[in-house]
Amino acid sequence: MTGPRNWLTTALLRLVAGIAIAVPAALLLGASPAAAHPMPHSVVQLDVYRSSVDARLELPVDELARASGIDLTDTTTAQLPAKAKAVRAYLLKHIHPTTTDGRAWQVAIGALSLSRTQQTSTGPYRELVAKAVLTPPAGADVRRFTFDYDVIVHQVVTHVALVTVRQDWAAGRVDGKGTTQVGTIALDTRHMTVHALKVDLGAGSAWRGFVAMVELGGNHILTGTDHLLFLLILLLPAPLAVTAGRWNGLVGARSALARIGRITLAFTAGHSIALAVTALGRLDIPAWPVEAFIAASILVGAVHAIRPLFPGREAVVAGVFGLGHGMAFSFVLAEMHLSTGQLVTSLLGFNLGIELVQLLLVCLALPTLLTLARLSIQPRLRLTGALLTATAATAWLAARLGLPNPVARAADSAGSHTTLMLAALTATALTATAWTLAKRHLPRPDRTEPAEPTDDHDPALVG
Amino acid sequence: MSKERTRQVRSRRTRRTIAGAATALVLVGGGFAVANASTGTSGTQKTAGTQRPVDKNAKGVAAVVSAANAFLNTLDSDQQSSTLVDFSQANATAWSNLPCAGTCRPGIEFGSLTDDQLAAAEHVLKLALGSGKDTGYEHVLQTLKADDVLASAESTSSASAGPTDAPSASASASASDTASADPSATATDTATASASASDTPTDTPTGAPPSGGTGGGPGGFSYGSGYYYLAFLGTPSKTGTWQLHFGGHHLAVNITYKDGKVEGASPFFTGVEPTSWTADDGTTYSPLAKFRDGLLKLTGSLSTEQLAEAKLSESFGDVLLGPGKDGDFPETKEGIKVSELSPKQKKLVLAAIHPWVADVDDATAQQLMKTYAKELDETYVSYSGSTDLTTQGDYVRIDGPSVWIEFVCQNGVVFQDQVHYHTVYRDHTRDYGNEFSFS
Repeated sequence: MTGPRNWLTTALLRLVAGIAIAVPAALLLGASPAAAHPMPHSVVQLDVYRSSVDARLELPVDELARASGIDLTDTTTAQLPAKAKAVRAYLLKHIHPTTTDGRAWQVAIGALSLSRTQQTSTGPYRELVAKAVLTPPAGADVRRFTFDYDVIVHQVVTHVALVTVRQDWAAGRVDGKGTTQVGTIALDTRHMTVHALKVDLGAGSAWRGFVAMVELGGNHILTGTDHLLFLLILLLPAPLAVTAGRWNGLVGARSALARIGRITLAFTAGHSIALAVTALGRLDIPAWPVEAFIAASILVGAVHAIRPLFPGREAVVAGVFGLGHGMAFSFVLAEMHLSTGQLVTSLLGFNLGIELVQLLLVCLALPTLLTLARLSIQPRLRLTGALLTATAATAWLAARLGLPNPVARAADSAGSHTTLMLAALTATALTATAWTLAKRHLPRPDRTEPAEPTDDHDPALVG
Repeated sequence: MSKERTRQVRSRRTRRTIAGAATALVLVGGGFAVANASTGTSGTQKTAGTQRPVDKNAKGVAAVVSAANAFLNTLDSDQQSSTLVDFSQANATAWSNLPCAGTCRPGIEFGSLTDDQLAAAEHVLKLALGSGKDTGYEHVLQTLKADDVLASAESTSSASAGPTDAPSASASASASDTASADPSATATDTATASASASDTPTDTPTGAPPSGGTGGGPGGFSYGSGYYYLAFLGTPSKTGTWQLHFGGHHLAVNITYKDGKVEGASPFFTGVEPTSWTADDGTTYSPLAKFRDGLLKLTGSLSTEQLAEAKLSESFGDVLLGPGKDGDFPETKEGIKVSELSPKQKKLVLAAIHPWVADVDDATAQQLMKTYAKELDETYVSYSGSTDLTTQGDYVRIDGPSVWIEFVCQNGVVFQDQVHYHTVYRDHTRDYGNEFSFS
């Protein structure tokens, strides 16, 4: 029984390591610049890709009106398209990135939208959000450039624009959460001019991208309740034998472990293949059918846990449904506009992260699964678990087919309580291990495996 | 994963830190208890502060020094060390106009003082700022009162109804107000985007509100007269160099003393929200009315041609040389040169400058006014927006060889249906007594 304990130690070590990385990172992210005045500032948020940079401009509408003469104060969303041309022309006049040797980048202004927001001590105000794509001349460095930008600042001389980076694969920023500040664009009051910002994002490397992708993969499976639930519900009846179309009695621990191994492996193979094919083939698959398919797969798994639908062929089912889950994983990569080289590296890292965390979770669940199967209340527990899972799956299916509902939202939010989930898993695993050990070490005359049938079940419950 | 987990880890950390601090406190307290027990006094007494000489008959700067010492004598040693800080460039320039309590300025918090200590502190301010009617002390006191108005408005939160956005004033980054003008952006895209926009700047100096204060503003800011801070940079003396700092929301008084004289009465930031209010006892306060009216008389006297010359092409959302902009005076002066004005108008320029300068003791104010009068012909007056100082962005500047004054109207933060004022007075050569260089 040292196996599970070793795994637990590893799991806890990983958890500690994860925390050790996450805490300083979060603290660094929290250290934003001090705002010197209660007037809202602009934010220019950059997503750095291999050969272009996406910029998201957040511009306070008041200041924009005073600087550009385009007043959007009372403009409704429906009226915005009428002013879009003027806004785009104004923005193009004031955004001029160039290479370090002075060659101009191309700038294209995309979607515009209006929203309300609030910054420290400003009170709520309206802002215009504009998307722009900045493209350097062929072959020029996207990581080092001169950002000649004076939107609003050219006229409202007390205005400040904060330039931040949200996504930068080569620097290991991939999760789209939080930003790092690159610099501030503000008036040089002595010379009453606005200087261009020298942007230097450092060398960047495939290794940092890879490591970040491993982390992203791990997070993705940990917070993606649906993937996890599918696997666990398939594993739930793994230690049970089938007689006459019902779960009845136990298979040996060895064959239970083999089943769990096969199912996990098949799921891994299925989603890895689908992930690789969809990502590398850059297949543009619509999200909702895939997401609905996943919900359906969980529902099937839940029914199977109540009454065996495909006994002995769980691995095949896990593999087939795994394909759908793999397609869903690929959406994360598709959003990142990666080059082929980056994509291959990302794929490896992302998948590795998924598998590592999946392995960890399966190992955490293992002692519980094996122990539960021997308890007399096993049928009841299994039924409860399966029904809960089926409820969540049905809710997800409805939501993904266009019927949003609170149950689905609740099930989704479960993924954000990862600490609680891990703690619960660890605690039950420890209890299960302790229980098994205690049973073994009890000075009983009969030390054989509990071969005595646990078939004191209620037939009505076993279905 | 990490957000939730990190938060928990952080709070665990905080708890650990608090536990650590508590342990340290117990240990230190225990140490004192033992030490005190051995000398036979009561166990909870704090260490007494250093006692400094007080001279009740002193005049001028000597009187300010004496009052400062008398105030310090009322403090225990911990309080003394928060009040007395080094006269370093970093400490001197660490002032702010924001309601960021003690996180962005040096000094001891008014809200933490006993009545006796507070009276002693106010006596220092009276002597340093002038104690008659319409003096600096009165002005500062009214600034504190304005912040109490903000604090009570915040606590009842009845004041924050915006003028232009009735239905969604309270919503921060609500998705309902969000939609896209470009067909290529989906509604979900913009909804999530606007949500993330609202949490981008996380630079709020939060922290538990200190005792004695009231109110909590947007983003964890603190309003109220308890959140004002008095500091002495360097040791108050009749011979050395030291600086008095008194500041809080909308206020930064910096007076630098050297060898028994005032070397600089700036930078001085004074602002106010609301610009005018009537107290429960029927008294109407408008702390910056005198400042504003002087400028209105001056700009009102300008002819159309003079106004055209004085008009700046730029727009302003705040003062140009607020906190952190030390030494950053524009190299080229803009606007109309005072030498082009009539003698009557020149007098109006001086009169407009006076309220800012009058926030230091009378003798020093006279001295400074003499200098500014001498340099008047080389001084410039300029404005942006409109000259009536009623709308966001209305702005006036007086920039001379020495004097620098800015006045700007800004949309209200707490009272969002009215403007409020930010103003700053600097001196090209006398900020912080010219003790520091800003290159």
